Amino acid sequence: MEVLRLHRKLFFLFLLIIFLMPQVTLAKSLHTNIPKASLPVLPAIIENVITTDENLLPKVELANVRWLVNKDSVTGGNNLRLVIDTTGPVQVSSKLDDTNSQVIIDIPGATIGKINGWLALDGDIADQVSFATIANNNSKVIVSLSGVIDDSDYNVFTLPSDVAANKMFRVVVDINKPLPKAEYNFTPGLQNKVIAIDPGHGGSDSGAIGPNKTQEKTITLAVAQRVQALLEKAGAEILMTRQTDKDVYGPNDSAVDELRARTLVANDNKADVFVSIHIDAASNLIAGGTTTYYYPKSKYDVMLAQCIQSNLVVAGKLQNRGRRPARFYVMRNTEMPAVLAELAFISNPNEEIIINSTQFQQEMAQGIVKGLDAFFALAAKKRGGL
Amino acid sequence: MLSVQKILLLIIISMASLTVGCSNSTFPAQGNLLYLAQATPEKPIGTGTTTNVSPLEQETMQVTIYHATNDAMFLVPEIHVVPKNDHPAQTAIELLLAGTKNADLVSVIPPDTQLRNVWVKDHIAYVDFNDNLIKKNTGGSTSELLLVGAIVNTLTEFSNIEQVQILVEGKKIDTIVGHMDIVEPLSRSEKIIKKL
Repeated sequence: MEVLRLHRKLFFLFLLIIFLMPQVTLAKSLHTNIPKASLPVLPAIIENVITTDENLLPKVELANVRWLVNKDSVTGGNNLRLVIDTTGPVQVSSKLDDTNSQVIIDIPGATIGKINGWLALDGDIADQVSFATIANNNSKVIVSLSGVIDDSDYNVFTLPSDVAANKMFRVVVDINKPLPKAEYNFTPGLQNKVIAIDPGHGGSDSGAIGPNKTQEKTITLAVAQRVQALLEKAGAEILMTRQTDKDVYGPNDSAVDELRARTLVANDNKADVFVSIHIDAASNLIAGGTTTYYYPKSKYDVMLAQCIQSNLVVAGKLQNRGRRPARFYVMRNTEMPAVLAELAFISNPNEEIIINSTQFQQEMAQGIVKGLDAFFALAAKKRGGL
Repeated sequence: MLSVQKILLLIIISMASLTVGCSNSTFPAQGNLLYLAQATPEKPIGTGTTTNVSPLEQETMQVTIYHATNDAMFLVPEIHVVPKNDHPAQTAIELLLAGTKNADLVSVIPPDTQLRNVWVKDHIAYVDFNDNLIKKNTGGSTSELLLVGAIVNTLTEFSNIEQVQILVEGKKIDTIVGHMDIVEPLSRSEKIIKKL
C-alpha cells in the first residue's frame, strides 16, 4: 500500500516536472530541428523511474537524441547529423544492412533508457530512427534512409563528455545525402556527342587578373577554342557559349543573367555534357594547381569530374587539387552532367607564365578531350542509370 | 518510510536537473567542428592561434574566425579572446575583416571590405558588406569558395545562427565573382575546414 502511495506521489511530482520540462527545452533550444528530437520525454521518464526504483546500479543509458540536416555552403551537399547523448562512455559498431538502406548501430553495454523507441525525421536523408534495448544491456539503433548509400557515405563515432561546454558523452552519426538515381544512355566515343564548352568570363567581365596583367577571359577562350577544334575533329557537335571576347547575355549584364545564359546554351540544345573552363585565383600567390569542380546532382557529375581532373593533371603536370564538390551556378542549373575546370592559378606568377604558353593551352585542351572520351567510355558501361 | 521518500525525491530532483542539462546542451563539437557552438564557452581548438586582448579583470568572450591555409586548400579556425560585449557577431566579422597575424594562414577577405551591418532574424544572420567584397576580389573559384566559407563558418559558430545570407550594399547578391550560387541563406561547411 505504502509503495503504491509512494508511486502515486512520484508520479505527481513527475507530471509537474514534465509540465515544466518541455517549455524549458523549447526555450533553450530554439532551433527548429532540435526540439523534434528532444520532445519525446514524457513516457521515457516514467519508464526510467521504474527501472531506477528496481535497480539502483549505475549503468550507461542513452539520454537524448537530436538531429539536423546541414546544407553545406561550399560543397552544396546535404548531410544528416544524428547525435545521441549517453550517460557514460560507450563503444559503437556500425554497418549498412543488405539493401544499403539502413544504418545499423550497436552500442553494447548501454540501454536505451529514457529514449523513445522511435523518432521521425524529415525524409530528406532518413525517414526515421528506431531504438531498442536488446539482450538486456545493449542498444540497437537503426536509421532508415530515404535512399541508398555506400559505406563511404556515413560515419559513426563517439565523443567524450565536455563538462565545461555542458556536453555529455555522445554517439555521432553522420550520413551524406544519397545522390538521386540518374538515367543516361551514353554510348562510348566522342562521335556525334553534343558537348557544351563554356569559356569562363568574357567581355566586360575579365575574370581574375594575374600579377603580370594576364586576364582569365583570354586564356579560357584560347583553351576552349582548342578543345572545340579537337572535339570537332573527333566528330562531336560543339556548343560554344561564346566564340569571341564578349558577354554571353550582354555587356555589363547582371552576374546571374550571364550565368543563366551560359546554362541555357546547353539546356536548350540538349547537350550531353557541359564543360566550363576557368583559371583560378587566390589571395596567396603560392597557391597553385588544377581543380575540377562538380555539383553533386548525380553520380555522373562526379564521374565526369574525376575523368577530366585525372587527365588534366597528367596533361598539365601541376599540383593535383582534386575533384571537388562546389555549389556553382552553372553546374546547379544545367540539366546534364557538368563540370567547371580550373586549369591553373593566374595569381601564381609561375603559373601565370605557363598558362600563356600555347603548348600548355594545347596540352590542357587535349586533357579535357581525353577526359571526355574516358567519361563516355565509363558511362556507357553504366547504361540504365547510376 | 519518510527517509525512503526523501531518497526517491532526491533521485527525482537529480534526474530532473539531468534532463535540464540535456536540453541545455548545444549541438556537439567534434575536433574542429563547432556546430551551433555558443559564442563563449567553446574551448580553443585546432591550430588556431589565440590573441589575448583583454586586461585581467575584464570579462571576456571567445570568438572563432576562419582564415585560409597558404595553399588555399582549406579554412582553419582562429580563436580570439576579446572583451565581452552585446554584439559578438559584429565583433567576429570585424575580426575576420582585420585579417591574421599567423604566417601559416592567409585572410580571404578582399582589401578594403567593410562591414555595413549584421543582424540575426529567425536563426539567419544577414551580413551586409560594402561593394569592395566584389570589386576588390581577386576572382577565381577557390578564393570565392574560401571567402563564402569563412563568412558562413565564422557566423555559424554562434548558437543562434543556423544560416547566413550575404548582402552587398544592402542587397542580396546572386554570386560574388561569377561561380558560386549564393542567393539563398547558406549553412555551415564542415568539408572546407582542415582536418587535424
